[in-house]
Amino acid sequence: MMHFLTSSFQSLATQTGPSFWLPESVSNFAPTVDGDFYFVYWVSIFFLVLITALLIIFMWKFSAPEGQKATSQNDHNLILEIAWTGIPVILSLMMFWYGYKGYVAMATPPSNAMVITAEAAKWSWNFSYPASGTVVSGASEDFNEIRNALRTGDLTAEQAAEREAKVLEKAGLHVPVNTPVQVNVLAADVLHSLFIPAFRVKKDCVPGRIGQLWFEATEPGVYSLYCSEYCGQGHSAMHSKVVVHPSQEDFDKWLAVAASYDEALPFPELGEIVWKRKGCVSCHSLDGANKTGPTWKGLFGSERKYTENGTLGSAIADESYIEESIRYPMKKISDGYTGQMPVVKLTDKEILWVTEFIKSLR
Amino acid sequence: MFLLGGVFALLVRTELFSPIPLITPLFAGSDAGAQADLYNQWFTTHGAIMVFLVIIPGVPAALGNFVLPLLLGAKDVAFPRLNLGSFYLWVSGAAFFVYVLFSGGVDTGWTFYTPYSTSSPTAVIPAVVGVFILGFSSIFTGLNFIVTIHKMRPKGMTWFNMPLFLWATYSTAVIQVLATPVLGITLLLLILERTLGIGIFDPQNGGDPVLYQHFFWFYSHPAVYIMIIPAMGVISEIIAVHSHKRIFGYRYIAYSSVAIAIFSFIVWGHHMFTSGQSTMMNIIFSGITFSVGIPSAIKVFNWIATMYKGSINLNTSMLYGIAFIFLFTIGGLTGLFLGVLSIDTHLHDTYFVVAHFHYVMMGSALIAFVGGLHHWWPKMTGRMFNEFWGRIACMLVFIGFNLTFIPQFVMGSLGMPRRYYTYEDKFQIYHQLSTIGSYVMAAGFFLTAFYLIQSLVSGKKAPMNPWGGNSLEWHTPSPPPLENFHGVPSATDPYELDQFDYDPVTGNYSSQSSKGLA
Repeated sequence: MMHFLTSSFQSLATQTGPSFWLPESVSNFAPTVDGDFYFVYWVSIFFLVLITALLIIFMWKFSAPEGQKATSQNDHNLILEIAWTGIPVILSLMMFWYGYKGYVAMATPPSNAMVITAEAAKWSWNFSYPASGTVVSGASEDFNEIRNALRTGDLTAEQAAEREAKVLEKAGLHVPVNTPVQVNVLAADVLHSLFIPAFRVKKDCVPGRIGQLWFEATEPGVYSLYCSEYCGQGHSAMHSKVVVHPSQEDFDKWLAVAASYDEALPFPELGEIVWKRKGCVSCHSLDGANKTGPTWKGLFGSERKYTENGTLGSAIADESYIEESIRYPMKKISDGYTGQMPVVKLTDKEILWVTEFIKSLR
Repeated sequence: MFLLGGVFALLVRTELFSPIPLITPLFAGSDAGAQADLYNQWFTTHGAIMVFLVIIPGVPAALGNFVLPLLLGAKDVAFPRLNLGSFYLWVSGAAFFVYVLFSGGVDTGWTFYTPYSTSSPTAVIPAVVGVFILGFSSIFTGLNFIVTIHKMRPKGMTWFNMPLFLWATYSTAVIQVLATPVLGITLLLLILERTLGIGIFDPQNGGDPVLYQHFFWFYSHPAVYIMIIPAMGVISEIIAVHSHKRIFGYRYIAYSSVAIAIFSFIVWGHHMFTSGQSTMMNIIFSGITFSVGIPSAIKVFNWIATMYKGSINLNTSMLYGIAFIFLFTIGGLTGLFLGVLSIDTHLHDTYFVVAHFHYVMMGSALIAFVGGLHHWWPKMTGRMFNEFWGRIACMLVFIGFNLTFIPQFVMGSLGMPRRYYTYEDKFQIYHQLSTIGSYVMAAGFFLTAFYLIQSLVSGKKAPMNPWGGNSLEWHTPSPPPLENFHGVPSATDPYELDQFDYDPVTGNYSSQSSKGLA
């Protein structure tokens, strides 16, 4: 029995593909967490089977018609009480100890870790790579589109995979394999949480605080990344992908491409890339539908009514109005909206492109 | 209210049958954002109604107010008017929730986490005011019970021959009185922040969202025990009476209620392992958290030992009692996973947590309420219900419940985050099983409502003591007369259960020598 238990935990804990209970296991922490999981699992199964068996046996053996007296009225046994207090105490101390050891390792990033910043906002991710100053988007909107197209049959599985690979060229959280990576998590508006099931890591993104998590990915591949702290309308659509590159060179090559804009493109097209990459897409539509923020269709040149410091005003949406709205989003709140836009840091060029893009949406 | 909360649960489950919008378009039109908003309002409404309006007042207020004076041989609770006041407060709290439903709903989740709750455009303030008022209802009930148990015990009843249900309600009442004010203050601060823009929790105004979580869970963790301890009290009565056997380990069960009540105040941080509180705090809270598990385990083993060599009637109440032990065991054991820091990091905010707390709050607290309702139904109404349909309904609820929530453990540990309107296709099979389970369970509850109402109309008249219990409520007619007892009763030994003779004609247990202690 004992041999069966220990061997089955190990085999379950060392496989890298998904098992019945746990997703694929591809980070330095995953084997420890899974080992802890299966330890608690088998202890729980043991007690559940024991208790269920006793319940069934007693129901079977001692059930009696109305009026029959019980065969015993014994109501205490000190040894039993000590046993069923002591054994759970010892087991739970063991569980605490394993969990504590595993957790301390997770909470302490090594000093040579590569640092990436993940910023969560309603409802998009941005990942920045401080070493090169590059910001790439989580592209949640694209992944959702692909997912929906796959469901409606507009894309075949292969086409979807192709589109996904194309999106990932300039989006997603990318890391090299077997390298310690520290992710600093920030939130622009409300609580979010960065969750990568395959790595067994999670950290809440709290506005006004910098949180951190770290991991070392052990298998190249593409894995899911979710927001796991409720953040409103787009919470379940706020997912992205983690790409683990097979080598540092491969990662560097990706970063160089992701950082660049193809500046040969016309400005409105570059603006559209910015719209997607920087998450404007989640609140500003192009088709006239008003979401969390005003639509961009027909915005340029229209008269805007707004509230500024409690007083009403109006202005024509020209280049300077748009630039101000991007740089200081909470200054003038358009009528009919609650003012939820975070400060999205765009370069001067990006603002120029976005403005041209809005202009083109007549 | 249970019906209303249940309907929202069914709406949520039906929507999740498929990852693409299924029934939200029927109510919210074709706008995807409005559909997601509607889903968010559904799960928020379900959670808030079930927690604040159903389970917290369920066993203590609904069952307790009837049973507690009877168990004490008293005419009524110590302050009947305060009791009526607490009922009126409950009604006004409920009225606020109904108002919220008609004024566009609320979408913050039942936890009202900041800064989402300070910025959400939905009707947060009316909902929070409702919860605030319900808090007072809960405090009044708790206060009343403490005084009643201290001052109105009958002649001869010492602390250690009180029925265990009284130990449980007493422990609960202490939590209600001490913890609920903290929730009240927290919610007041939330209202102030929303209306006046004072920066307490919102970092935009210099506040700290994690502070809100500390305040909130300082109440809401003990609140879990407001729900479960009285449920355990009900189970102690059910198991002993229907096994016709003296409760095993009386003092251990009694002390474990008190122990749980005390520990419940110092474990709130385990809701915040991934929130960014310090590593040291996480470690301390994880350690203390395991201490709550021990008294719970002690109770389970003592109940099982009570059944050993008993004379068990597998009637509806007892089946609910046994279902409780099984479901609470699962609820408790899965709590161990979440107490272990390394595992919780993975499982936090996933469906694993959802399944875990449903096993504790619904599978345990609510099942005990339903069990207690059947146990005391003849006493309350003077009518017997139909045992056959009772057992069928119990089985439906039990099977449906497990089918609903076991798949949620699996998808949670596979990484399905909670409060998701749409999800990856690989999770669909688990959601479908879960939805089917919820329908089975709903069928069980409708059946229960049906035969209970039917018993009021045409049920057999209940005898004084249909189960053979010896606590004082079984020594007065069913239903009890005005002022509960004819004359002033003196204390019995509530677990002296082998002295009765069963009369198959009347269905009554009677005793020639009903032994009083006084």
